[in-house]
Amino acid sequence: MTGVKVKTNPHAGLPGGRHRWRFHLSVLLLVIPIVLSPKFFREEALFFGDSGLGQRELGEKAIGPWHVHVAEYMANAPTDQGLAGHMKTFAIRWNAEDADHIKASYFRIGKPRSLRAAGVVLSGGPYRQMADVPIPERVKPTDALWLTVEGWDGTVHQAAIPLDEASPATIAWLKQRGETR
Amino acid sequence: METTRPAKEKKKATRLWLIVHSWLALPLWVLIFFVCLTGTIATVSQEIVWLAKPEVRANRPTPDAVPLGYDAILAAVEKAEPGVAVSFISRPVKSIFALDVFVSYPDGRTRSLFVNPYTGAIQGVGGVFDFRYFMRALHGWLLVPFVGATSWGWYLVSALSIPMLGSLVTGLVVYKKFWRGYLNPRLRLRNGARIFWGDFHRLAGIWSVPFIAIMAVTAGWFLIQHILADNNITVSTAGVPPVVAREDVPAEGGAKAPWISLDRAGQLVREKFPDLSPDFVALPSNAFSHIVVGGRGAYPLIFETANVNPYNGEVEWTRRVSDRSALELVTESMRPLHTGDFAGLWLKLVYFLFGLLLTMMVFSGMMIWLKRTALATAKLVRDINAERALPSVEGVREAAE
Repeated sequence: MTGVKVKTNPHAGLPGGRHRWRFHLSVLLLVIPIVLSPKFFREEALFFGDSGLGQRELGEKAIGPWHVHVAEYMANAPTDQGLAGHMKTFAIRWNAEDADHIKASYFRIGKPRSLRAAGVVLSGGPYRQMADVPIPERVKPTDALWLTVEGWDGTVHQAAIPLDEASPATIAWLKQRGETR
Repeated sequence: METTRPAKEKKKATRLWLIVHSWLALPLWVLIFFVCLTGTIATVSQEIVWLAKPEVRANRPTPDAVPLGYDAILAAVEKAEPGVAVSFISRPVKSIFALDVFVSYPDGRTRSLFVNPYTGAIQGVGGVFDFRYFMRALHGWLLVPFVGATSWGWYLVSALSIPMLGSLVTGLVVYKKFWRGYLNPRLRLRNGARIFWGDFHRLAGIWSVPFIAIMAVTAGWFLIQHILADNNITVSTAGVPPVVAREDVPAEGGAKAPWISLDRAGQLVREKFPDLSPDFVALPSNAFSHIVVGGRGAYPLIFETANVNPYNGEVEWTRRVSDRSALELVTESMRPLHTGDFAGLWLKLVYFLFGLLLTMMVFSGMMIWLKRTALATAKLVRDINAERALPSVEGVREAAE
């Protein structure tokens, strides 16, 4: 290089040039909320109970002298909750005439050995109670979701819902997990 | 020592910072503009609802009317809507708003009722569409559904704190002697768009330094918070959620054991912690859960709660400012600092004003770039035309290589 002095471009390095339009492309990111808004409102309707007790309603179950509606809250695979393991949310609704007789309800995957080990206690008003149910490490697809109910009269009643009825997505997930291991 | 050389290098460095400043926000400017705008609206969304819906206002029937206690509210709701199950009663911080009473109906739907704090009358029912929550979701995670604890929309939005903090720092470096702008504000309106947007960008920028810093740092915390959550790291000292001991739940009688009254629970908490104002009360969510009484204490940014055993009235667990670690006081202050919802309407309006300025900062930055590059392109076209007439400098250089 000889003494040719190159005049520096005052805009060197600055964004722009011939492809200025590219800097407006982030407008396309606004498609995200537009595309996802129907799903957002569907989830809101689920949250407020307008689309039912859950995404998959399992219908009314008799448990002892009482009647309860059970639902799989979201019809997807168990969610990874980190240290707590994988969880599935189930919801129940007591019939109005039974609500005042129920002291506590519990969910567990696999048959509980005693009331002390009945599983997770459900929370919420009697017309909408939920619990995040842990998926045990050694669960088999033939296991069941057990609902244990304690009445204020001191009685305890149980009902088992086969896992393939309670959550087919969990069965699919278990099969997939079994294959990868 | 030469004086010209450091000055030249300084100029070169400033130029480099200008390049960094330009690249930080420009490639994503529409998204950043959108997030700033929706955040600005979200700040005052409660007030917008107040203006639009008379049923969320707390109108005093007579000038000397006094607010009802929680038991009277509960009784009024249960009388007006027999069979509903009340789960939560909240007295908004600002007394112009009606009470929020969360209920579930026997058909399984849950709703928020707007209840007059003086009469207990149900003035309205919240719908599935909640403008406040919608604006919050649009601003905070672009409506991307949460899977477990996180949503990728949350990551996308909170990651914008990085260019925002970078823009603030580089902006102050590029703007030579910016402190002079405080004393001699300059906003030239009649010298063309480039000059106007440049003046606006600098003037709004220097006055927004604390606000932008708060937004960038708190949003940066939201990013860190979710990275921590995704990796199962917690800074919480709260421990295992408290439950009512099985032996405290009355077993005999065969019927549902009665709870102590909500006003009594509030009174018991007040006796123990006189500075805790009972702004909300959560009813037990099952036979083994507490009545939770909560509100603001002496430090307005953090809510304090106390758990009362519904059967024997013992205050069994607290989560007060003094129960938190120093780190938690910092991290839990981040959200109120971001939303500005802790000192009343005046602060919200301040946040709204600076939110608008910040939104316009994004827009004006883009306009400066647009006008500047428009000039540059025009000049480039002129240069190319000139080069056609003469052998170009570029051509000479290319030949030499």
